[in-house]
Amino acid sequence: MIDRFNIKERFIHWMVAICFIYAALSGLAMWSRHLFWIATVLGGGETVRALHPWGGIIFALALGFMFRNWASQMKLDSDDKVWLKMSHRYAMNDEAGVPPSGKYNAGQKMLFWMQSAFTLLLFLSGMILWFPEIMPRTLRLGAVLVHPLAAIGSIGGIILHIYMSAFAVPGSLRAMTRGFVTPGWAKAHHRKWFQQTTKIEDERAR
Amino acid sequence: MQTVAKLIDTSLCIGCKACEVACQEWNDQEFTLGTFGGTYQTKPELEHNFWNLIKFNEYETDGQLSWLMMKYQCMHCQDAGCMKACPAPGAIVRLDNGTVDFNHDNCIGCGYCITGCPFDVPRLSPTTKKVYKCTLCSDRTAVGLEPACIKTCPTNCLTFGTRTDLLRKAEDRAVELQADGSTHAGVYNPQGVGGTNVIYVLKDASNPESYGLPKDPTIPWTVSLWKGPVKLLGSVIFLGGILGTFFHYIRFGPKLEEEHPDD
Ligand code: HEM
Ligand code: SF4
Ligand code: SF4
Repeated sequence: MIDRFNIKERFIHWMVAICFIYAALSGLAMWSRHLFWIATVLGGGETVRALHPWGGIIFALALGFMFRNWASQMKLDSDDKVWLKMSHRYAMNDEAGVPPSGKYNAGQKMLFWMQSAFTLLLFLSGMILWFPEIMPRTLRLGAVLVHPLAAIGSIGGIILHIYMSAFAVPGSLRAMTRGFVTPGWAKAHHRKWFQQTTKIEDERAR
Repeated sequence: MQTVAKLIDTSLCIGCKACEVACQEWNDQEFTLGTFGGTYQTKPELEHNFWNLIKFNEYETDGQLSWLMMKYQCMHCQDAGCMKACPAPGAIVRLDNGTVDFNHDNCIGCGYCITGCPFDVPRLSPTTKKVYKCTLCSDRTAVGLEPACIKTCPTNCLTFGTRTDLLRKAEDRAVELQADGSTHAGVYNPQGVGGTNVIYVLKDASNPESYGLPKDPTIPWTVSLWKGPVKLLGSVIFLGGILGTFFHYIRFGPKLEEEHPDD
């Protein structure tokens, strides 16, 4: 087995995930009257209105920690740029010519940057929506567009993220629950990372 | 049922504020002291427990000062921005007689209506965390009474009736004022919000801003975008994402750990 995520990374990831799911569901409850039943499930409209911003803030804080830990590993290298151009092949499970990836592939890196940007937008526009009685009208008029648009983008990204990790790439989920992956998994999906880690282990063993 | 309306003939308002008092009394609102702005105006703006404000506008043209008094409250728009923005089912309702009324049991206090309203009318109460505004005395009109402000007005500046009648009356009055020398007199019933159930006769209808009324109020375009195309986009992305990934699985299946084709 190869270690992939330590306990700190796993803890932060699940803090982000739980708060995101709460913020997304409670937000969607206020997004459309057809989804208002979610508010009823989550304790009623007033509760949801009062707690959503706090859920969002804890989410944004946790994501801030995640950003600090991972940003340096998420820079795109030259292989990643080719990967992005070949991403349709990756999506069709026809990976001939798709360059090997490091610890994260270019798709994961893009998701990381996009979610970080959306979170910043959600946070800023959310703070404006939170206090309609004191925030200037022009800011509010912008925030009512920015907040749902950023939410749509990030929820869309997370649908893809959940699909990839839980269904499309078997063996991924355990990396985030128990922290490790099999050598076969690492070799198949993150070859450059696999080579690095095994080299280090070889050297250690020697 | 016929749509009811309120006609405010600004040329007859003497700024006595009887309507302010009647509104506070009938709706059983506590009067809280506010800021004194150096004019006769009771408050700088509407408040969550103060729904009817006489604005005293001092407006200068060519060295001539006009002292314009005008009753300000919810306009009961035909196409109401507050209703468009509200996410809570049943929190803002349109009564059979056309009145836009808030139902506080259903209000969640998000304040979206404050942003949706082109007239800046709804106000959030810091204690109940719900939003309040003029109800057109729906509890009086329901039993055939006129609103409290109308009942109390000593000058006939305020009239209550069906919208069709009052629109005709307003036009007649504007013609009368024009004949009297106010050449720009006219009716304020802004079409950008589909017309309002609170109708004004202004001595200078070419310049409603001098009274503190917006010239061409409409539901803000960002609010329309938010509640229209953005919702559609969201539905497409959420459903597309869920169905798309499902069918991707059906078509391509999971990525297995077999040897990479480049090996
Ligand atoms: C980062 C901190 C956040 C803050 C301060 C915040 C605040 C708010 C506020 C104040 C509202 C208006 C309703 C209410 O008062 O509860 C709102 C609505 C909403 N929020 Fe957030 N939020 C945040 C994060 C998020 C996140 C992470 C999501 C999930 C993707 C999200 C999704 C939504 C949605 C979908 C709505 C409804 C928007 C609409 O009505 O069009 N928010 N948010
Ligand atoms: S004036 Fe504002 S609060 Fe009144 S009906 Fe129109 S949009 Fe709603
Ligand atoms: S504050 Fe109440 S009435 Fe206003 S939009 Fe929100 S739920 Fe609707």
